[in-house]
Amino acid sequence: MNIKDMTEDKLNLFIDEQLDTDEMNEIREALLDDKELREQVCQLKAVRELIGYAYSEVPPSRHEDSNKKRSGSIFGRAIAASVTLVVGVVLGWSTYEYSPNATPAISAQNTFQYVANHVKAAYGERKIVLHIDSSDVQVVNAALNEADQLLATYRKANTPMKLDIVTNKSGINILRPGVSPYIARIRELIDDNDDVAIYACNRSIAKALKKEGVEIVLMPEVTKDKSARELIPQRLEKGWVYIKA
Amino acid sequence: MKVVKNLVAAFSMKAEFASRRNKLYRIAYSWSHDPVLADDLVQETIYKALKNASRLRDVKTIDSWLYRILYNCWQDYLRVKGRNVEFVESYDDESADQTDNYQQAQIVKRVRASVEQLPLPLREVVTLADFAGFSYEQIAEITDIPIGTVMSRLFRARKNLKQQLLEFGSDELTVSKLRRVK
Repeated sequence: MNIKDMTEDKLNLFIDEQLDTDEMNEIREALLDDKELREQVCQLKAVRELIGYAYSEVPPSRHEDSNKKRSGSIFGRAIAASVTLVVGVVLGWSTYEYSPNATPAISAQNTFQYVANHVKAAYGERKIVLHIDSSDVQVVNAALNEADQLLATYRKANTPMKLDIVTNKSGINILRPGVSPYIARIRELIDDNDDVAIYACNRSIAKALKKEGVEIVLMPEVTKDKSARELIPQRLEKGWVYIKA
Repeated sequence: MKVVKNLVAAFSMKAEFASRRNKLYRIAYSWSHDPVLADDLVQETIYKALKNASRLRDVKTIDSWLYRILYNCWQDYLRVKGRNVEFVESYDDESADQTDNYQQAQIVKRVRASVEQLPLPLREVVTLADFAGFSYEQIAEITDIPIGTVMSRLFRARKNLKQQLLEFGSDELTVSKLRRVK
């Protein structure tokens, strides 16, 4: 599907999950390859999240006021907690680097991306799939920094988080001992965090084997029984947030 | 025995309404941006709901039924006051005072200001969808407009808000960077 064929109305229907399964899957597939489309979807999602956030705390009604005097407001404390997390997110904007190609200046688009990825964390467990399809030093460093930053942010906010790192294409090379300079760093990521899992695309492994003619040995912690094209849409359907390195 | 049964039903209905009061108030506030008016609208909604509780045939539809009443109360108010009434939000409200973070308050303020600039029909639909979480069908039922109109209003509202908030994203970034340099 080409971005030019995609109307904003259709993207709205997509984020509201109002399309049929085939159309939803078609857009999910397109999202994997199309950065511009991903940004559009993220911006729409961010608008939706920000509206919910902006009215989660409003001046108290007279009714709430009188209740507060009697018993204090648990709901208010819950809102305050969520606001506190979002404050952390907002402060993170100034240091956030999403794309490996990003300049030090953060674009408005990245700001939206960040909000779209993080605001909902206040309401429950955050599940994130981080997709790495390159072994380029800048891309991999940015992706691993992102993983560290996400884990640290949610640990600090005491919010449960699951992170699946899915690699394909040349991205699988970062998981090859003896080839990759990232093995120690990735192992540390897995050892320090129970909720981090690493996947390598089985199709990419098969292609690499055909190309190189030698067995592709990966870290033992890596799961490699599915393709990235299967793994990522499965997670998106279950509400995971997708981040492309 | 029937009296006792009716009393129990009435109390249980009252509890159902009371548990939804805060959310009704927030939606009323997102439309009016006036805490006193929002409170009055919710009081009136609860009063009308209790009075007409027997008309609610299926408890599963209680949410859209209650919001329909709230929406009608709001429309009645607008008719009396005139559709073009201007609402001026006090940005020195308590929610802004309570937070000790300037940036967070700025974001809330800016999003609300952007919502406030939307034409009322767009504002009503986008808050019902994106804050209250109603489906297109439920919003059509609450506002008594065709589902196609719900969709077109919602999409126009989001497009408008996206544009305004993207501009804000750039402004806010400049402020952050300046602060970091300092």
